[in-house]
Amino acid sequence: MSSDVLVSVRGLEVHFPVRGEGIRKKGAGVLRAVDGVDLDILRGETLGLVGESGCGKSTLGNAVLRLIPSTGGSVHFAGTDVTSVGGKGLRELRRRAGMVFQDPFASLDPRRTVAQTVSEPLEVHGLRSGRRERAARVGELLELVGLDPAVAGRYPHEFSGGQRQRVGIARALAGEPDFLVCDEAIASLDVSVQAQVLNLLRRLQKQLGLTLLFISHDLSAVRHISDRIAVMYLGRIVEIGPASAVGSDPQMPYTQALLSAVPLPHPALERERKRIVLRGDVPSPSAVPSGCRFRTRCPYVFEPCDDVDPALQPAGAAGQQAACHLHGVVGTPVERTPEGVTAEP
Amino acid sequence: MGARSGAPRGSEPASAVTAGTAPVLEVEDLRVRLRTPRGPADVVNGLSYTVGPGETVAVVGESGSGKSVSVLALLGLLPARVATVTGRAVLQGEDLLTMKPERLRQVRGPGAGMVFQDPMTSLNPVLTVGRQLVEGIRAHGDVSKEAARSRAADLLGEVGLPDPKGALDRYPHELSGGMRQRVVIAIALSNSPALLIADEATTALDVTVQAQIIDLIENLQADRGTGVIWITHDLGVVAGIADRVLVMYGGRCVEDGTVDDVLERPAHPYTRGLLGALPDLARPAVDGVVPDLATVPGTPPAPTDLPEGCVFWPRCPVRGDARCEHEQPPLVQIQGLDRHFGPSGLPHRAATWCTEPTSDTGLPASGTGSTALGGDR
Ligand SMILES: Nc1ncnc2c1ncn2[C@@H]1O[C@H](COP(=O)(O)OP(=O)(O)OP(=O)(O)O)[C@@H](O)[C@H]1O
Ligand code: SF4
Ligand SMILES: [Mg+2]
Repeated sequence: MSSDVLVSVRGLEVHFPVRGEGIRKKGAGVLRAVDGVDLDILRGETLGLVGESGCGKSTLGNAVLRLIPSTGGSVHFAGTDVTSVGGKGLRELRRRAGMVFQDPFASLDPRRTVAQTVSEPLEVHGLRSGRRERAARVGELLELVGLDPAVAGRYPHEFSGGQRQRVGIARALAGEPDFLVCDEAIASLDVSVQAQVLNLLRRLQKQLGLTLLFISHDLSAVRHISDRIAVMYLGRIVEIGPASAVGSDPQMPYTQALLSAVPLPHPALERERKRIVLRGDVPSPSAVPSGCRFRTRCPYVFEPCDDVDPALQPAGAAGQQAACHLHGVVGTPVERTPEGVTAEP
Repeated sequence: MGARSGAPRGSEPASAVTAGTAPVLEVEDLRVRLRTPRGPADVVNGLSYTVGPGETVAVVGESGSGKSVSVLALLGLLPARVATVTGRAVLQGEDLLTMKPERLRQVRGPGAGMVFQDPMTSLNPVLTVGRQLVEGIRAHGDVSKEAARSRAADLLGEVGLPDPKGALDRYPHELSGGMRQRVVIAIALSNSPALLIADEATTALDVTVQAQIIDLIENLQADRGTGVIWITHDLGVVAGIADRVLVMYGGRCVEDGTVDDVLERPAHPYTRGLLGALPDLARPAVDGVVPDLATVPGTPPAPTDLPEGCVFWPRCPVRGDARCEHEQPPLVQIQGLDRHFGPSGLPHRAATWCTEPTSDTGLPASGTGSTALGGDR
């Protein structure tokens, strides 16, 4: 593992047991929320994670932070295997890797003041001993996120959505983490307030050298804030690469469709634009199609797609990878590859 | 959305207006005051617009700007106990606001269909899809059960449900979010209304499904000449679907005009701010550097506590006119420069003291790309 990799995910699986439904279908009884994810998150980068609702973005983020257990694969954090650490190791992970949630209303305790909310991690991790030291640190953290330290004594309901999200960010920064997962952190904010929070995250990321996993269904926001973008479909990363490459020259048919569906605020452009309208709905993660998991909706589907699960492979720009046979039928994970597949694209 | 046939688009004259066809809906000085625990809230303050046949009018604004209330008020869907509605809203010749409740109920189905953000607000979870459609169809027409059922299946087919006959016997929870929204659209269209009101109808959907639904509504609209009011906070969606745009802030229309005028040549500082705050896929990095977004400082005002003068002045980056804080700017045609009359010749209006150009260069730069609106604080 290269030293500039902060989080390294290998073959990660989070499968949930499911009852009823589709007993005769292959893979019945298991919901594959995360289904074999390989991902390196580089120190100091913002990695955007996009994909449609239910594709497993939150589950992946939660599993990386060990907020939920995984059922297979591994997660390394700063070189240490944290897949199943407990006790002290887990506490250290909690301090160094935090979460900013979507709903600033739900994630803050209405009965606690801003000061109590922000200083809790300081107490839990024993980072500031005295009450005065903690209060001073809370003031610093509030300033860092653009809030007046004088608001420390107020309660969440006295704040707007954007201000509450700033409080949430201050709390997440209290333990001086290296890594933050932002899960739909701007989704419930108004456009003008979204921009404030996006700018804040960018500034903090630079100023503190943070590594961010920015999960969002909003491709424009992800494109704006990310250094690299990973695209998820049915529990798998299907494309990853530099934000500029994935954002303007996607190599995987799913990414192409997703991008073409993003409405742009330019009337003339919108009138000209061709949309790739996908057939049907996303299949259920408890009945993942064989072969390429996108094949039931893919406009390019051809012979190998039915049986061979495509692995990520170089495609397009430097550092860009796509899981698609259009880029050649190659090295799928050994145990999954049927012998002697020869298919010409 | 790809091919967009039929419905008039921004760069062409909105045929309904220029060809002298009677508008489907004419709203005049609509005002809504709500009684709230915090005192009276002026949620809609004098809204006037028309929707022509086959025309799409987008109403945009942030939360609390009064978008939804303004259409709920039209259809008498606000409880009379808390809402005082004044003004005129003429739907195909009849004023909705003075109508008796029974008449309003009659008019609603064939006159105006509604699609809300959450399809479950319009669907009954314990009734099958077929039963709900059949009831809607029979409530407004003398149709046999069998005829209504076959029409229901046709409608589900039209909105793109696979296996429409089978879908009649499904319950809403057995369908995906996108499928449910299609059912709601089928119900809304079941009586071929002259007007369709979509309130954040695609906001909760994935972009790929959103594209399918928008496509669907555009095609149905082109076939039937339905007038559409599309309420959304998403300026991208607006660019794709609207003929005309009305920007709301603090319960007022602060700018309106053709979609090209409002999005390409925004005149009100708020519209400019909104556009500048938008991360834009079509505006990529310059030399590998993605510039910060322009932001509008602060947050939208509470309707219980609207500022005096221009509703936007406390957040306005270019305020400076002596009148901003005291006198409400009227919504008037932007004067002086030909380029502010869209190619269509349709009016482009804004309610601001700050954009009256004195010369070609007297105008602040157009909203997109403007960074004059302050940092992230
Ligand atoms: N605890 C759980 N038990 C069973 N299934 C679960 C559980 N948590 C998540 N899932 C399922 O896992 C899949 C992935 O869900 P996840 O929330 O990770 O998606 P997401 O990409 O974050 O979606 P969204 O964009 O809607 O937030 C979904 O089908 C979801 O229903
Ligand atoms: S592998 Fe086949 S089905 Fe999958 S995305 Fe590529 S072409 Fe489409
Ligand atoms: Mg999620």
